[in-house]
Amino acid sequence: MADPSALEIGGVAKSFGSLHVVEDVSLRVGKGEFVSIVGPSGGGKSTLFHIVGGLLTPDRGTVTIDGHDAVGRRGLIGYMPQQPALLPWRTVEDNIVLAREIAGEPRRASRELARRWLARAGLDGFADAYPHTLSGGMQQRASFLRALLSDHEVLLLDEPFSALDAILRTDMHRWLLDIWEENRRSILFITHNVEEALLLSSTVYVLTARPARVLERVEVPFPRPRPDELVDEPEFVRLRRRLTHLLKNDARHAI
Amino acid sequence: MADRARRWVPPLVAVVLVLAAWQVFTVLSGVDRWLLPSPADIVAAGVADHASLARHTVATVRLTLIGFTAGVGTGLLVAVVLHVVPVLRAAVYPLLVVSQNIPTIALAPLLVVWLGFGILPKIIVIVLVCFFPVAVATLDGLSRTDPVTTNYLRMSGADRRQLFTKLEFPNALPSVFSGLKIAATYSVFGAIISEWLGSDQGIGRYMIIQKSAFRADRMFVSIAIVVLISLLVFGAVALLERILVRGRPKRT
Ligand SMILES: Nc1ncnc2c1ncn2[C@@H]1O[C@H](COP(=O)(O)OP(=O)(O)O)[C@@H](O)[C@H]1O
Ligand SMILES: [Mg+2]
Repeated sequence: MADPSALEIGGVAKSFGSLHVVEDVSLRVGKGEFVSIVGPSGGGKSTLFHIVGGLLTPDRGTVTIDGHDAVGRRGLIGYMPQQPALLPWRTVEDNIVLAREIAGEPRRASRELARRWLARAGLDGFADAYPHTLSGGMQQRASFLRALLSDHEVLLLDEPFSALDAILRTDMHRWLLDIWEENRRSILFITHNVEEALLLSSTVYVLTARPARVLERVEVPFPRPRPDELVDEPEFVRLRRRLTHLLKNDARHAI
Repeated sequence: MADRARRWVPPLVAVVLVLAAWQVFTVLSGVDRWLLPSPADIVAAGVADHASLARHTVATVRLTLIGFTAGVGTGLLVAVVLHVVPVLRAAVYPLLVVSQNIPTIALAPLLVVWLGFGILPKIIVIVLVCFFPVAVATLDGLSRTDPVTTNYLRMSGADRRQLFTKLEFPNALPSVFSGLKIAATYSVFGAIISEWLGSDQGIGRYMIIQKSAFRADRMFVSIAIVVLISLLVFGAVALLERILVRGRPKRT
């Protein structure tokens, strides 16, 4: 294997006591690839991220980051949690350099980098503002920058846009894709929104309801950059219908 | 600025009005001045005895500050140790909470019996009264860290020390300060009581002397000084809070 994947998960399982949350999940994120996980709420998706991030040890299975065993190892990925989770007593700039600070990177260089990225995120005037003065969308962007600036190849984004309204969400998709196409990090993206997954990713993994298994792996054929009108194309509509159908059927089985 | 002035003016006016009413009452009612001196009498008594008052005030301020610092230091240290050793916390925290309902000041006479009339038993009294509010408030604050943020820091590779210095402690600061404010007031109160029990200097000692001499005017002077010391220590803590607690705490 000449070029190892950025991230590989092999046959991972996890239970909390008698609650089986993840049953058997295997997936792969190639270098520079944008991969999404779609699945119902409460299905164990965040738990899977906690396993990849080394916060939890799986009962079974392997986690490999850049060809190395990463089970139980923390500090190897950039992470954007489901809530922005910014530190309210730190300014926006001090917040987005946090991961670099933890890794022991020099302060000066981090700050310069932060200023540059804040401008790209439309947060120029907010470097010295405190998080509570920011709108929800701005907090999400700050939280994303914090993950991006961590300088890890693999970024784990946990439902970053689920709390935003539809219009703001479309803007954020554009913004995220622009940044990603420019520096091509390897992204694993959780969502329960099928359209979002198809619009953003090259590969989509559909997970079952708890306990999570991979129901299907779907390659998304559309070339990039993808226009906003893509959502109306017949092929896109067909794929969306198929995935929605898969999720619905699975939910019916679960009941 | 205008906003702050607007907040300060009404209480100030109230204080001035009360003092004026007091002055008028003592003049018109013909009440015995040695029993209820007028504000003007009290100021005169303070000015007349200023040299002795200054000496006693310095002693009390010194005792208060030493006791407060030692008490706060012990409280913070114990809270941090209990926080990082969960087994200890589980064993000790309930006792701490219960002991808050015990008037620790009642131990003061015993400490005098054991340790004599020097400064040490007095400092211990103040440490005892300051310790509990600081320790309990700090432990409370340390345990109220947002789990999502904790997970974020740990997945980003933070070790135990970084988790504490970058998340848990700053998150606990507002709570720590509410403990410190209680301790600020308690420390003055602890200093005065321990001076009552046996001392050759301090405002508490001065009050005991004036009590035997039936000098109500000088009693009022000492009360005013005690109030001022309390306000100063409290004000210093509040000022430090304004400097150190930034942004907005997630929950209050
Ligand atoms: N540390 C934990 N201890 C016990 N149960 C947990 C823990 N973390 C998650 N769970 C449970 O696992 C299930 C899946 O949660 P989660 O992974 O957050 O789902 P999703 O992200 O897909 O919505 C939920 O029922 C949740 O209550
Ligand atoms: Mg989740």
